Amino acid sequence: MNVLIVEDEKGLALEVDEFLSHEGFTVEHARTKKSAEEKIFVNNYDFILLDLGLPDGDGFGLLKMLKGLEKREDAVIILTARGAVDDRVMGLEQGADDYLAKPFSLSELLARMHAITRRKHRLESNDINIKGLRVNIQNRTVMYNDERINLTKKEFEIFNYLVLNKNRVISRTNLTEHVWGDVLEINSDSNFVDVHVKNLRKKLSQYIPIDWFETVRSIGYRINI
Amino acid sequence: MKLQVKLALYNTLTKVAIILFTGLLILLSIEKISYNHIEVRLEDKKEETLRSLESSEINHSLSTQQVYTDNNILNEEFINITPAKYDPNISKGVKFTTETRNLNKKDFQTYRILSHKFNFKGHTYLLQIGETIESVEELKSIIKKFTLLVLFIALVLTLISDLVFTKFLLAPFYKIIDRKLIKVNDPMNFDYEKIKTTTQDFELLDDSISSLMKKISNLFILEKQFIANVSHELLTPISIISSRLENILLHEDLSEGSENKMHASLKTLNRLKSIINSLLLISKVENNQFDKGDMVMIAGVIKEIHEELEDRIEEKHLTFTNHLKYIFSIQGNRPLMHTLLFNIINNSIKYNNPKGSITISDDLIDDIYAITITDTGAGMEQKQIDNAFNRFEKFDTDEKESYGLGLAIVKSITAFHNIKVKISSVKNKGTAVKLIFDHAA
Repeated sequence: MNVLIVEDEKGLALEVDEFLSHEGFTVEHARTKKSAEEKIFVNNYDFILLDLGLPDGDGFGLLKMLKGLEKREDAVIILTARGAVDDRVMGLEQGADDYLAKPFSLSELLARMHAITRRKHRLESNDINIKGLRVNIQNRTVMYNDERINLTKKEFEIFNYLVLNKNRVISRTNLTEHVWGDVLEINSDSNFVDVHVKNLRKKLSQYIPIDWFETVRSIGYRINI
Repeated sequence: MKLQVKLALYNTLTKVAIILFTGLLILLSIEKISYNHIEVRLEDKKEETLRSLESSEINHSLSTQQVYTDNNILNEEFINITPAKYDPNISKGVKFTTETRNLNKKDFQTYRILSHKFNFKGHTYLLQIGETIESVEELKSIIKKFTLLVLFIALVLTLISDLVFTKFLLAPFYKIIDRKLIKVNDPMNFDYEKIKTTTQDFELLDDSISSLMKKISNLFILEKQFIANVSHELLTPISIISSRLENILLHEDLSEGSENKMHASLKTLNRLKSIINSLLLISKVENNQFDKGDMVMIAGVIKEIHEELEDRIEEKHLTFTNHLKYIFSIQGNRPLMHTLLFNIINNSIKYNNPKGSITISDDLIDDIYAITITDTGAGMEQKQIDNAFNRFEKFDTDEKESYGLGLAIVKSITAFHNIKVKISSVKNKGTAVKLIFDHAA
């Protein structure tokens, strides 16, 4: 899948590029509105990561132009430091698929991109298979041999996020933000994520051994596959 | 005192003074003029009387009774000659006095009396000629009454006319105050249209306020730009560093120590981000950059927050009781109201003791709705309550990453929505936070 990063901050663009390339995406950059327009005219992208504040204009203009083109299904994720509710609403109203306020974590970006892919392409095989557990993202269920494991909403969110970011340590901070959103004054250091993880692991371990579900001391969690 | 009243009072007082002065002047001059006339007449009469001393009637009367009296029928005038102590060198002068006398033993009348001493046939006599001044007194009393009446009427008329006129005169002034100062909550929505007036002073006032507002709104725009810039300029570098750290963490050859440090740095960055976002939120609220167009149902928001925080409540084994009786909606900003109640309830969880309780109740008194969030937590002393709303004020808490901005956000959001906050707390017993939705405030 190919991604166009429209971002004038070179440093950030490079980091996102590195991360997404590592995840198997093909990445292109545009640093100005003008060059982004040219690229969008020429190519179809699976994803356009769009910064709103560009040196030669507003990202909204670019979004409008893209939505004016025919037969385009490029998914747009707005990345912005403006973070105002108005921007969020306006972006989504103008046809953006998602909105991430800077600073965002790359694993969150990846999770959002996966979510959009599933939504757009209505994947037949929605299930992800992990050590005999079938994670169905559409129905938000986890099955083991046709038996449903009864997870709470938050337990499922945590499990799903860890599965999406498999083989990578996900910090408590990151998990908190993903599951509870960017709520001010919710503190990542408190152990209430741990409570959910503990319950989650207890439930999973009733079906299969979970040595692959690793606790990384003082940081967070990792699912090794 | 209002300027209008002051002006009217001043005008009335000056008019009263002028009328009183002229009235007094008229009274005095009338007295003077009429006395003058009477005195001239009395002098004539004296001359006439002295000339006719030799006449038989007076001569006879004097030589027999030593006294001569002559009154006219209505007692308007009298001539009286009485003997006095003999003095060969008497002065020729005359003396005028005003006296009340009764000539026919019936009624008293006030007379202007001329007294003159003269020698006649080796005797000294006192001649007194009087003329009534009742008519003058009457005139004086009429003028007095008239002056009083005029005074009273003038007083009432000027007061009313002055009040009406100054009201008309000052109308543009109050219009300027009302439209340009009182009704302006936000310099961005200032009405630059001129208020119609022919008074130059008010035009000047209007222009001055408009130009002041122009300056303020320019500063306001600058401030908004500054906030936007700060958010962009600070959050973008944080974003770069955090992405970079995440990418470094992908490297498999990283030692465990470095990995831990990376994660610790990410956590610190997250803290920085939270602080910046909180401060941005506060300044945006304080700059009225939020829309107040939503009808927010308080009970709905509470329910939502309860669901969001359920796991934290369970984790601490708290009892959460929702006693809301009313379905109350407030016009405001929904995300902000959510943040407001979230911060308060989150605090009541954070500072609560394990197995404690949180109670939410409401009441409606005289159309004023109030909601109270009570916990059984650590509580605060009065000094702590006073400082609770200050930025970066934090208390001993188990949670290491408290930024001390939660209640500062509460303060700015409540101020934005005109909500009053009352905290009552007992140390080690618990805290009650009361939000009063007083629309009159």
